[in-house]
Amino acid sequence: MNALEIRDLVKRFGGLTATNDLSFDLAQGESLGLIGPNGAGKTTVFSQIMGELRQTSGTITFMGEEISTLSTPDRIAKGVSRTYQVPRPFTDLSVRENIRVGLMPDSLRAMIFGTGDTAREGEIAQSVGFATADLDRPASELAMGDLRKLEFARTLATGAKVLLLDEVFAGLTTGEIAMIAELIQDLRQRGFTFLMVSHDLPAMEPLIDRAIAIERGTLLANGSFKEVLADHAVRASYLGEA
Amino acid sequence: MNLRPHHFLLWAAFIALMFAMPQFVGNGTLRTMIFACYLAIFAISWDILSGRTGYISFGHPFLVGIGAYTTAILTRRYGFPVEASIPLAVLFTMIGGLIVLLPALRIKGSYFALVTLAVMELMYQLVPVVRPDLTGGTRGISRLPALTRGAENGYYLAAGLMLAIALFAWLLMRTRLGTALWAIGMNEESVRGSGLSTTRLKSFAFLVSAAIAGLGGAFYAHYLGTITPRAFFDINVLFQIIVAVLIGGAGTILGPIIGAFFMVFMLEWLRPFLPGQERFFVYGLIALLLYMYQPKGIMAIIDSGWAKLRGART
Repeated sequence: MNALEIRDLVKRFGGLTATNDLSFDLAQGESLGLIGPNGAGKTTVFSQIMGELRQTSGTITFMGEEISTLSTPDRIAKGVSRTYQVPRPFTDLSVRENIRVGLMPDSLRAMIFGTGDTAREGEIAQSVGFATADLDRPASELAMGDLRKLEFARTLATGAKVLLLDEVFAGLTTGEIAMIAELIQDLRQRGFTFLMVSHDLPAMEPLIDRAIAIERGTLLANGSFKEVLADHAVRASYLGEA
Repeated sequence: MNLRPHHFLLWAAFIALMFAMPQFVGNGTLRTMIFACYLAIFAISWDILSGRTGYISFGHPFLVGIGAYTTAILTRRYGFPVEASIPLAVLFTMIGGLIVLLPALRIKGSYFALVTLAVMELMYQLVPVVRPDLTGGTRGISRLPALTRGAENGYYLAAGLMLAIALFAWLLMRTRLGTALWAIGMNEESVRGSGLSTTRLKSFAFLVSAAIAGLGGAFYAHYLGTITPRAFFDINVLFQIIVAVLIGGAGTILGPIIGAFFMVFMLEWLRPFLPGQERFFVYGLIALLLYMYQPKGIMAIIDSGWAKLRGART
């Protein structure tokens, strides 16, 4: 069973077609790169998978169950979650509290009367590379690399097994890129499934099993990273070659 | 919930201090403190919604007014005992707020603020003309049954109510729900992206906020004995509530209380020197300077002073 099946996905904003009859699969445990030039519609695809944008037509199936009409929290409860191009931490909350939000059940009763799992908060923080001393640091004090780690931690805390990573290396130093790449490799070995977008192709290449390329929301190529980059249409649109 | 013994000790000391007040101050000061206690209740109510989630409500006087008018109408027009009219006032405030203001929670930022402001102004215009036989029109409703006699008893009631509400809000905000509300104020999309229904969370915060506003409004109406539309559905009431929170410190429990007492007592202290409306100008200037110095309010000044003190000791 595939983790994700996207079928005939279309998203129109008035006269603009951002996603154009797009179909692809993501197998369980697979890491798939989604590439394309700026404005190709990569983030729009993510937003539709997460239910932040409702597709004009087409279906999204997660682990064999259609989730096209579910709300974002319901999709996350099924096990799919995303990170954003620009990290969105809760700046006045500590690292621990940021992770706590991801761990919270979507139930008022449980939020009020339930007890938190501080040990689990610490485990998740450590699993993405935070030291114990970092747990009580406010997110506003973190560098970009640590903010990326924090976003990973909060995403993992939701219980997601399929992670959508949007421009995961944006704004990072060389050292931070290596740190995040190592974290992704570690998560791959632990069985997580990835769909990732990055303009840093050399950094992304070792982290993916396969790639798809889109332009103006239309699928251009689907195959191994090398095959996709060698595709004539991809080279024309993405690399500007005639 | 991470409660520690010193939390309860601090609360016990605060409660003891509040209840010892009548031994040290006269009836005039007590009456000022009663008003400060009710303003603090309204400020806590506002802070639970707006201070936490960032949805700035300009319609809180509307909620306070529903509570006040409901208990006034029920007791004076229908002969209800206050034991029944006050709980019904809370219920009516929650329902009224739910119907009128809750849909506004779907819109954000200044649009939410403007819709809530419009609702309050609408109430001010409607109350005098719709069923004036019930609302008393522009004259309002007078001779409401008093809950207590004398300044001291009135103070104990107001202070007790304020402390009970503050303690309830403090305990609620220390739960994971409090953290989630706080997180909404910082980044609502990220809260949704963490798998939480923000509509449900905001609705709950709104209902709690409305219940406290209605409860405070009902008790305040019985303390005043007379209510008029201008005493509740008024922009000045709104500003008093918001300024109290901002001066004291939004997103805290003690902040709105400190802000309310600071505001009320400063206006009283200025009265002998500036008996006219000009004292509001001086007061506004002081509030502005304080806000410029520390936008997070007096609580942040206290916190940083406390942190420095602890740092100096270690």
